[in-house]
Amino acid sequence: MTLTVGAAALALVTGCASRAGTGATAAGATTGSAGKPLVIGASVSLTGDFSDSGKGVERGYQLWADSVNAKGGILGRKVTVKIVDDASSPTQVVTNYQNLINKDHVDLTFGPFSTLLTIPASQVAKRYGYAFLAPAGGGPDVFKQNLGNFFFVQPAPTTQSGDVFANYILSLPAADRPKTAAYAELDDPFSAPIAENIRSKFEAAGIQTVYKQVYPSETQDLSPVMAAIAAKKPDVIVGGTQSEDAYAQVKSLVQLKFSPKFMFQSNGANSPLEFPNKVGSANTAGIMSSADWYPGSKASGSDAFTAAYIAKYGGTAQTVDDNSAEAYAAGQLVEAVAAKTGKIDNATIISTLHAGSWPTVLGDLAWGSNGAPTGQYSLVQWQGGKLLPVYPSSVAQASPVFPKPNWGG
Amino acid sequence: MHALIQGIILGVLTAGVYALMASGQTLIFGIMKVVNLAQGAMVILAAYLSYQLFTTFGVDPLLSIPLTTVAMFFLGLAVEVLFLRPLRREDRSELSLLVTFAVALLLEGIMSVTWKTTIRSTNTSYANSSWTVFGYQITLVRLWAFMLSLAALAFLYLLLNRTRFGRAIRATVQNPESARLLGVEASRVSALGFGLGAATAAAAGSVYGLLYPFNSGSHYDLISRLLSIVLLGGLGSIGGAVVGALIVSTSSAIVASTLSPSWSEMTFFVILLLVLLIRPQGLFGTTARGAI
Repeated sequence: MTLTVGAAALALVTGCASRAGTGATAAGATTGSAGKPLVIGASVSLTGDFSDSGKGVERGYQLWADSVNAKGGILGRKVTVKIVDDASSPTQVVTNYQNLINKDHVDLTFGPFSTLLTIPASQVAKRYGYAFLAPAGGGPDVFKQNLGNFFFVQPAPTTQSGDVFANYILSLPAADRPKTAAYAELDDPFSAPIAENIRSKFEAAGIQTVYKQVYPSETQDLSPVMAAIAAKKPDVIVGGTQSEDAYAQVKSLVQLKFSPKFMFQSNGANSPLEFPNKVGSANTAGIMSSADWYPGSKASGSDAFTAAYIAKYGGTAQTVDDNSAEAYAAGQLVEAVAAKTGKIDNATIISTLHAGSWPTVLGDLAWGSNGAPTGQYSLVQWQGGKLLPVYPSSVAQASPVFPKPNWGG
Repeated sequence: MHALIQGIILGVLTAGVYALMASGQTLIFGIMKVVNLAQGAMVILAAYLSYQLFTTFGVDPLLSIPLTTVAMFFLGLAVEVLFLRPLRREDRSELSLLVTFAVALLLEGIMSVTWKTTIRSTNTSYANSSWTVFGYQITLVRLWAFMLSLAALAFLYLLLNRTRFGRAIRATVQNPESARLLGVEASRVSALGFGLGAATAAAAGSVYGLLYPFNSGSHYDLISRLLSIVLLGGLGSIGGAVVGALIVSTSSAIVASTLSPSWSEMTFFVILLLVLLIRPQGLFGTTARGAI
């Protein structure tokens, strides 16, 4: 077994070496080819573990290409998105980007879905001098690579998506601020760290932690955890959640008849369709979460994106996949760079995006040198059965409601 | 203290549902010496059936139980006749592990295609209601689930102890050769017994969908829990399944509410290990045949 893996690795390495020479020309050849279609390559998980989200990403890329082609393309060039399936595998994703760059000679590359795949994929792009616009995969390890060609197309690194809630709470006058907090966190790299970031901000501001537990993902019954929290009667409950566990937290609290003054969940509560469905619409009132794109967003191009999505894939604004919005935003960035510089090669994209801030359907984006976005998510809250942005004021469509109404509205 | 007592209440109420699932599992083992790895998948299938009846026709999951149990009874019957009967008697115990696991995978596949892998939950009007008793919350769904499970277990008990069919089952469990000599048709008893085990899965599944969100993959967690309960109580003993379920679900609820949810899953495995070290046949299992 070890032998075969070793042999495969060797083949891969030699493959890379023999292609390295042609790679440099491929990246350089993107300028001055007006009239030729602009080909953008991306490996997306159309099968395997990440296929649901992967398909959302694919729809976003495709939708953006359609919309830009309807306007005559970029700098007179029609856009083609070449998508290949990586089956959610971190080895396949490497092969895919090497083929896209060396065999298909694509002009630009967009990212795959998930941190697991983005890390190896961005290294391939770096090797050949390609800009790497990644709409998904914002785990801390991605930024630790410090690649320089990498841009995470979301308002902030994923583990900081809850910081906007902490900022909101700390913006309240001292009398309105919660005094005690409880944290229930799913043991997952994209759940517990979000709550932990909020906790460190809260503790620094003197909000006392009365309960903090991390539960494993196989925890089927969260009632005992929520019972322990209810017994402590905290002012605020912070859930570092994914989806099922978010629903289970709310359901348990309703059954235990404990309603805190503030409640934030990192995920699950930001699903416009699933959340009211799972916990009962009346119980959503006042619950907060964070999001980069949400139905009714006023960010640049969001209305056009929503309309195009519904026209092509059906449904309503509530059923638009936010993975698609993030993928669409990657395309908007390419368009913006071309409009500003009149050029569309990788070196220009990398140097241009590193300066200033760039409007997208996710709001204005800006990056540090490691590709970590420097903005913040929007704080969203359930009000009258709708998910509305309430903070910061630049995106707010309603004022935050507090204390949270009791269960059942 | 408050959290501890609330934890015990939650644990005891949940135990009923597990007792019901595990009783089907232990019954099948008692009759056929088959460890049914598809029991978890059957529970989830029943949860889907009652979810579908609820969302399409508005039938309350507790009221649709007669329908789902009958459907699952026949499914169980079919599984026994088609997949288990052809196995040679002397290899049956070992091979049935593979066969029932294959059935579990088959059911999982069918469920994934039919209902996708989205997490479902059956949200009735009373799903989030609870009664306040001395400051503690008794959740309505769990209370119904608990009472229903008791009723189903009582029904199972009467069936086994007061009917001809029950006597035939117990005779087969105790001594299949003698039972056959006395005119009990062992193959018929096996088929009906497997059907009965599947039917208890159906009753438990309807309740399961009310309590927890589920999808087609949920059966893996479920079967590991069921096997622990059944082993703890003693393979083949229905009373043991009830006690095992109580120990498993209260211990994990108490640990989760007082200590840490990370330790809760581990607690009952520690208990299981200790019991098996001291009493390898489980709490109520016997080393000889005929535990039921």
